Amino acid sequence: MITCTCIVQAGQIPAATEATLRANLNDFAERAFGEPADITWRAIPARSGFTAAKPSTSSIISMTASEPVPQPRRAALLKEMCELWVRETHRSLNEVVGVISDPQQ
Amino acid sequence: MPLYLCNAAKGAISDAAKPKIAADITRIHCEVTGAPPQFVHAFFVEEDASPPLSGKRAVLFGSIRAGRTDAQKAEIVARMRQSIESHAGIDLDAIGMMTTDLPASWAFEGGEVMPEPGEEAEWLARHHQPGAAE
Repeated sequence: MITCTCIVQAGQIPAATEATLRANLNDFAERAFGEPADITWRAIPARSGFTAAKPSTSSIISMTASEPVPQPRRAALLKEMCELWVRETHRSLNEVVGVISDPQQ
Repeated sequence: MPLYLCNAAKGAISDAAKPKIAADITRIHCEVTGAPPQFVHAFFVEEDASPPLSGKRAVLFGSIRAGRTDAQKAEIVARMRQSIESHAGIDLDAIGMMTTDLPASWAFEGGEVMPEPGEEAEWLARHHQPGAAE
């Protein structure tokens, strides 16, 4: 399983969109790494998220790859992962942070 | 990035204190590292599994771009713990904090792979938003 953590601001992503994002992230993990995603969804409570010291609309999507990823491929995968998020949430790319980590040695 | 995630015991950090601590976290990170403020995320949760409280009243976990010195990280930890003590009224001994290094090349923000520390100027020029660099 590919570990995936999504940190979002509570109330900003409807349940139906969350379900679609979970499915799409799972499909992405299977395409990219050959394994399904084990997704942890964390909602930051209202008035508890700040970006640049202002109320945040940012989401963080963090995935750990099953094996070390060469940087050109990582960059392409990061772009694909963030774009699938933006497509469903109708947020901008400035409001999403993507991370694809290598597995711990 | 960075992402500073603060887990606290229920009610330990009031809603009034959170924006003050978030402002301090942003200012301290930028003063110590020279990073621009729009990269700094500060999120607060209560009684969460991560980061574990391990007997503390509050624990702040910072995922920061790799490349900072040990002295910079020590200053970040000391000053941010003091901020939480000051604004939340929690004893310093009951506030934990740690940081972890994340290679900039592993993160994607603003539609691009993040710049290495000290190489933000071009990224900022492409993503300038009015007031964002204030």
